Amino acid sequence: MSTTPWHASADLAARYADGSLPESDAWSLEKHLERCGACAARVSAAVRQSPAAGPVLARMREAVLKEAAPMETVLKEAVCAKAARRESREAGPAAAHAAHPPAGGHPLASGHVGGPVAAPLLTPPARSVLRARPRARFLLRALWAAGPAFRGAWLPAVWLVALGALALSQGAGADASRPLLLALAPVVPVAGVALSYGAHADPLHEIAAATPCGGLRLMLTRTAAVLAVSVPLLTLTGVLLPASGTPGAAAWLLPGLTLTLASLALAGWVGCRAATALTGGGWLCAVLVPSWASGGAALTELTQQLDRCLAGSRAQGAWGAAAVLCAALLAARRSAYDHMEKP
Amino acid sequence: MSTIRVSGLRVRHRRTVALDAVDLDLGPGVHGLLGPNGAGKTSLIRVLATVAQASAGRVEILGEDVGEPARRGAVRARLGYLPQEFGYYPGFTVREFVAYVAWLKDMTAADVPAAVELALHRVGLGDRADAKVKTLSGGMVRRLGIAQAIVNEPEILLLDEPTAGLDPEQRVEFRALLRELGVRATVLVSTHLVEDVAAACTEVTLLDAGRVAYRGTPASLSAVGEATGPDGIGDSGIERGYTAALRAHRTPVEPTR
Repeated sequence: MSTTPWHASADLAARYADGSLPESDAWSLEKHLERCGACAARVSAAVRQSPAAGPVLARMREAVLKEAAPMETVLKEAVCAKAARRESREAGPAAAHAAHPPAGGHPLASGHVGGPVAAPLLTPPARSVLRARPRARFLLRALWAAGPAFRGAWLPAVWLVALGALALSQGAGADASRPLLLALAPVVPVAGVALSYGAHADPLHEIAAATPCGGLRLMLTRTAAVLAVSVPLLTLTGVLLPASGTPGAAAWLLPGLTLTLASLALAGWVGCRAATALTGGGWLCAVLVPSWASGGAALTELTQQLDRCLAGSRAQGAWGAAAVLCAALLAARRSAYDHMEKP
Repeated sequence: MSTIRVSGLRVRHRRTVALDAVDLDLGPGVHGLLGPNGAGKTSLIRVLATVAQASAGRVEILGEDVGEPARRGAVRARLGYLPQEFGYYPGFTVREFVAYVAWLKDMTAADVPAAVELALHRVGLGDRADAKVKTLSGGMVRRLGIAQAIVNEPEILLLDEPTAGLDPEQRVEFRALLRELGVRATVLVSTHLVEDVAAACTEVTLLDAGRVAYRGTPASLSAVGEATGPDGIGDSGIERGYTAALRAHRTPVEPTR
């Protein structure tokens, strides 16, 4: 894409200037001009000489310069350069829009839009839309990065866990709410990862896997998004719950991170779905099974089990060491994520 | 100048061998990949798309060995890939879908809007850019798939059954687009529609049971068909060539089939 031996011929430039070049060819030429200075100069010259677009361009250039006059010299130069560059791109539409001289307005406003044939300079209504676009585009991009988890059942599930714990604390089991939250919280980001990445979760997986973003990079981006939502929400919920001794509201953070990283590390061998099932299921078994098995005082047993797993610097230190180990594994096996499960 | 070099490629799926001892050398142009179901067309395309891993052999794309993880990213940025089946996010519009893939392909953000417009225009979806993907017909989804594959103006374009679901008129237009893309890019099109190959391809590779059964041009494949005489199976010259080449490949290797 960057090193095409192809260049615009004089004939092509002339046909572009007089508007006889088919639209699709004109677009590919414009694409080329963004990268090739020599061709841009050739097309610029052709456009200036053309009877249709030449005078329009001269008027436009004047208008742009007049507007830029009060600005700092540096800015003015920038505008000139932009206008000069745009000349070549807009010759076609400029000729077509000859009846509409450029309306007043900041010429830089459309500068960030590498839009096709950059019509916004000539059509004022489109400009306000474009000005509002960068922010909307950023938000959209952030959601894209987050991937499928936020479109599915996961986000409601996170809220259900958080609000459920709060509701429980208001109702009968004030003492039960925090242990239950701490038992469930580490599984939430793991579930988010399961629903974000891999052939089973992401309908675009096959396409994404063939892109430079595919593999570990996309998986980490989506995991980060999942953590960014679940960590603050669940920790805040924990803080709002009535305190009932140890472990504290933040005690699940390190285990949650470790289980997430362990899922990612395991996914390199067995795929995302199986890995998250193993880690998430493993945690739930370790925490919940003893309290069920104990029969009577299930809640006491759960609290004790959580105490053993989460409270104290030794437990937390072990979780931290495991997290570091999983992160190291991820880094060492990063190429394994380029080829994962087949749908 | 070859942009894709494959030597001794072997691909296994669990216990079955999908491709074996495949050697290929492809340069710019439109290459048809023909073969019966299960011949290994999709496996070959997935390996070339760097999505699947080769069990043995060497795959070199644009001069880079894709077996080297560090070189893969650079190759992927210059790839276009249309899988046989692909999904989409339900809420996305046509434009957002293609822009998302452009983003995944690491394109410069400033270039994306223009590139998306151009890609949609080329597949004839320019007027549906703001429609939701889920409202598109099957043929339109197929064209959307082609648009996402060409949005980064790839040097290597891999299309797995791109004409499935297109109506005859769209197929004619699509062949014209293929020829246009093949001027600069290396386009590999897998299909079971023999007439697509005859109309759009400069070269033909015929796969059978994981091996290359025939390589040549559409004209030479037709010639194979004519050589077998009137009792060959098929309605057109190239169809007769297809069946004759398959038969010729199967006879010495596996006499029982």
